[in-house]
Amino acid sequence: MGGYGDVQLLRDDGLRLDGRKLDESRPVTIEAGILPAADGSAMVTHGLNVAVAAVYGPMEAHPRKIQRQDRAVIDVRYNMAPFSTSDRIRPGFNRRSREISKVTAEALESVVLVERFPRSKIRVEIEILAAEAGTRCAGITAASVALADAGIPMRDMIVGVASGKIEDTVVLDLDKAEDNYGQADLPAGILPNTGEIAFLQMDGDLSPEEFDLAMEYNFKAAKEIHEIMVDALKARYDGGDS
Amino acid sequence: MVELVPNLLRQEMARLAEQDARIDGRGQFDGREISLETDCLYNAEGSAKVTMGKTVVYAGVKFEIRTPWPDRPSEGSLMCGAELRPVAHRKYEPGPPSPESIELGRVVDRGIRESGCIDMNSLCIIPGEKVWGVMIDIHVLSDGGNIFDACGLAAIAALRTAIVPAERFDVGDDYTLSVNGTPIMASFTRVGGRYVYDPCEEEELGGDERIHITIGDEGHLHSLQKGLRGVFTPQEFAEIFEVAQKKCAELRKIVAEKEAN
Repeated sequence: MGGYGDVQLLRDDGLRLDGRKLDESRPVTIEAGILPAADGSAMVTHGLNVAVAAVYGPMEAHPRKIQRQDRAVIDVRYNMAPFSTSDRIRPGFNRRSREISKVTAEALESVVLVERFPRSKIRVEIEILAAEAGTRCAGITAASVALADAGIPMRDMIVGVASGKIEDTVVLDLDKAEDNYGQADLPAGILPNTGEIAFLQMDGDLSPEEFDLAMEYNFKAAKEIHEIMVDALKARYDGGDS
Repeated sequence: MVELVPNLLRQEMARLAEQDARIDGRGQFDGREISLETDCLYNAEGSAKVTMGKTVVYAGVKFEIRTPWPDRPSEGSLMCGAELRPVAHRKYEPGPPSPESIELGRVVDRGIRESGCIDMNSLCIIPGEKVWGVMIDIHVLSDGGNIFDACGLAAIAALRTAIVPAERFDVGDDYTLSVNGTPIMASFTRVGGRYVYDPCEEEELGGDERIHITIGDEGHLHSLQKGLRGVFTPQEFAEIFEVAQKKCAELRKIVAEKEAN
């Protein structure tokens, strides 16, 4: 975390700088099936973040060495568009996007019924068009909806959520200022139906009690966002026109 | 595996062309429906989204401060690049920029640059020391055919909405970038032996060479590009050039209407 401690992030009335309550998420909107060339796709806006996911496959896995005899592999690429951040990002992979791609793939492999598609590959492309803290979570949410939109069987969808700590207070869903100047960030990928966790990262400083509260907030947010995910998929197939 | 389907498609295209028909029911020079959104991305200083049929493209503008070239101390710079990432189609592979994406970025770049719509001297902050570098990045999210025109339109629409972020760089107040003109691209592909405007995915797969024409506000040419295998006659070019003039004027109107709202 940034750890600049002296920036005020909570107002005198106890609310956060953008007026949110401690356990309040930024607004989330989800649309499924937005990319006609893909087998499945979704766009998630989470606050000012915009994440798009496209799914291709299941398809032949090549090069052959990546094939698994008993299951499909999920090939995830998380990428930030050059114009997605305040300073332009040079196109291409970097260490951060490689790590996020890896852990996202492993999370998705935990819910997709990969054993149904031996020797094949499912490609998941996550593109961040606008970033304002929380892009990996928006990306996981978008990827889940895109997989469902592609008709790929899953045990459950994964909802990407995050809580953190600012001014010694646990809050849900850090925005950019809170992420830069806060004390901890706890992103998680939650399976809303089973209550399991498929993705977890953390950095900063949290006591065991703070961790428990942060996870409680994460589960609460996951439930709320899951409803939006389901609505997006229903809108796509309940008499949707595309 | 890849060759068989285009060959069947090619035969079908020839059959359709004989009846003056297209695979998606359009006339020879009809474009698909276009939607344009601008100012749609937080963090980009100018942005646009273009949807043309199954094609979806975003463009974003960013600024940086750099030292000018020694021989042009009062001129800033403009750069336009395109990415054809695997998100856009199953045919695109990850890896370093492909020749196709480089061509795409450079053709769009030339059209905007050569139209002179950006006065490079207006990008000067302190002569010999600081100038603005303007970067247009084009991100193709769904390739449903004719990404060139979609990218050209997204790029100029994003540029025309750009705000110079002077405050963030501590060099004065933010101001709207001055863009004098709206260069527009029109693309044609030979399908079933004749040129069609705004080819869709199937037409590109079952077609031959393509021609991209960028035209400025006065009807002058600013960039041309012939791509892929094939040849054409001056008479054929004259015909599509005339169509391009009309199409570009129509698209320019769409950009203007968007800005007026």
